[in-house]
Amino acid sequence: MTPSVTLRTPDKAPTAVPQQHKKAELTLVSRSTQIKERALSLLFFLCAIVAVLGVVLIFAFVAVRAVPLFKQIGFLNFIAGTKWSVANSQFGVVPFIVGSVVVTAGALAIGAPLAILTALFLSEIAGPRARAVIRPAVELLAGIPSVVYGFFGVTVVAPLVGRMFGGAGFGPLTAWIVLSIMIVPTISMLSEDALDSIPMGIREASFAMGATQWQTIYKVVLPAAKIGIIDATILGMGRAIGETMAVLMIVGNAPQMFAGLTKPIATLTSQIVLGMSYATPGAFQTALFGMAALLFIISMGLVLTVRILSRGKRGTYDA
Amino acid sequence: MPRAQLKRRVLLASLLCMLLLASLILSACSKDTTDVVVSGSTTVEPIAEVAGEDYGKAHPNVSILVSGLGSSAGIEAVGVTKTADIGTSSRELKGSELKLGLKVIPIAHDGIAVVVNPANTVRNLSMSDLRAIFAGKITNWKEVGGPDEPITLVNRDESSGTRDAFTSFVMGDTPFEINAVVLPGTGQVREVIRRTKGAIGYISEGFVKGDVRALSINGITPSAANISSEKYPLSRSLYFLTRADPSPEAQDYINYVLSDAIQEGAVRDAGYLPIKIKSGDK
Repeated sequence: MTPSVTLRTPDKAPTAVPQQHKKAELTLVSRSTQIKERALSLLFFLCAIVAVLGVVLIFAFVAVRAVPLFKQIGFLNFIAGTKWSVANSQFGVVPFIVGSVVVTAGALAIGAPLAILTALFLSEIAGPRARAVIRPAVELLAGIPSVVYGFFGVTVVAPLVGRMFGGAGFGPLTAWIVLSIMIVPTISMLSEDALDSIPMGIREASFAMGATQWQTIYKVVLPAAKIGIIDATILGMGRAIGETMAVLMIVGNAPQMFAGLTKPIATLTSQIVLGMSYATPGAFQTALFGMAALLFIISMGLVLTVRILSRGKRGTYDA
Repeated sequence: MPRAQLKRRVLLASLLCMLLLASLILSACSKDTTDVVVSGSTTVEPIAEVAGEDYGKAHPNVSILVSGLGSSAGIEAVGVTKTADIGTSSRELKGSELKLGLKVIPIAHDGIAVVVNPANTVRNLSMSDLRAIFAGKITNWKEVGGPDEPITLVNRDESSGTRDAFTSFVMGDTPFEINAVVLPGTGQVREVIRRTKGAIGYISEGFVKGDVRALSINGITPSAANISSEKYPLSRSLYFLTRADPSPEAQDYINYVLSDAIQEGAVRDAGYLPIKIKSGDK
């Protein structure tokens, strides 16, 4: 296990330095350098392992706390139950799954086209000056804390929706508007990376054949970057489905099935936060951990999808 | 001096500085004070907080540490885990909590006001109508003598002490209608009621301001006199809870909270009524 030593010694030097050759070896790489190198590589390794450890520990923790679910609630009552009422010990999460899906799907339907067109504009059309303004603005959007988005939703979007459609203005529509803005930077920045990675020659070939800019974008660039853009969209979806604070502030948190675009609903994440502050050990807490595990599995599925798709990408044009 | 050596010295020096700073902070923390931990109801938190600050100024050797976790957590902290010296609660003890042997000290009165948008013409609701509204059986204001306007229900989250109190005062065993908007704070409820025409919700009387209207219930207005006499049907008290033998510092702090300085100051500022009602109150 001494990889760093061999790197700096000349080819003829043995890999493992016997004790009596220590002096000779020191002239090549001093003992302290050797130790430092090894310590550093160990440090880097430890840093890398923290992420892995974090995922494993969190998943194990959530899973362990969620397992009593099978006994306390019953898996079917949990995953297929349509009634959530803590007072009556009913812990069906279908309304929240539906809520999460509705909120995420709508946010994607609005946000993804917005983001992809932004990326196309930045990568294909915009001149340096337009890019210098728009790109930092998009990046800035990514840096706004979600509670600020939520605040914007509560004070601006919800009253507007309420005035237009009646009621208090909390519900999927408000969440769509706020979340779609929120996921724009994720999707657009990653899509732009995908577009930028397409070799210039492909575009030049297209132009040389007499294609217009629109034809080049539509027929050449977009198909070539398709998988990168899908990756970006899936990551944006992950952001939307996991978003908590902003959603909590604008969906209305009613544990009912989706009843209309301006009727309050609840999502998995928002319900976990609301429940967390008062959940007592027992079926209720277990249900919250079960919902957390569910979210974990969903995001794992999304990451996996991205990985599988990215593997396909290498075959298409990078070769 | 070689660059590397210089760098090392600078690193060493900054490390020493950090150590010095850390030890300073630590020593500042570990100075000789007694902690009184107060935790529980978020409703009581502002009172306990202000009283704690004032008390700490007069008694530099005592620090009052206040946190708001909810009434249930406060009762557990003082009675079960014993992590708090004083628990605070916006509801009476119930069930197994009664057997913890806690001393219950009322520190303020609070009335829960049922609030509607100022444009609403309804001024009074009977208790049964109120229950029917929050149970989703009455869905339009015209059914209770108001305009033809759908009712938008605004509820609190289940960890809220106010919701707890509202449930026991009004709902009993009747379940809440689940299509109600659930908001995690008094301020948010008031804001939504203020801007939504058909909305109805409930908040502590002390937080009612001109932009929302408090209804009378069974013909009794939520006035100070009606709340402290508990004539108003949605009245409650706020409590401090201690174990049988509170520390002298904790007891002294409680006495301070019950003194006029806090009762007429922080308690009123937080929107509640002093425990001893004066004849001059309306």
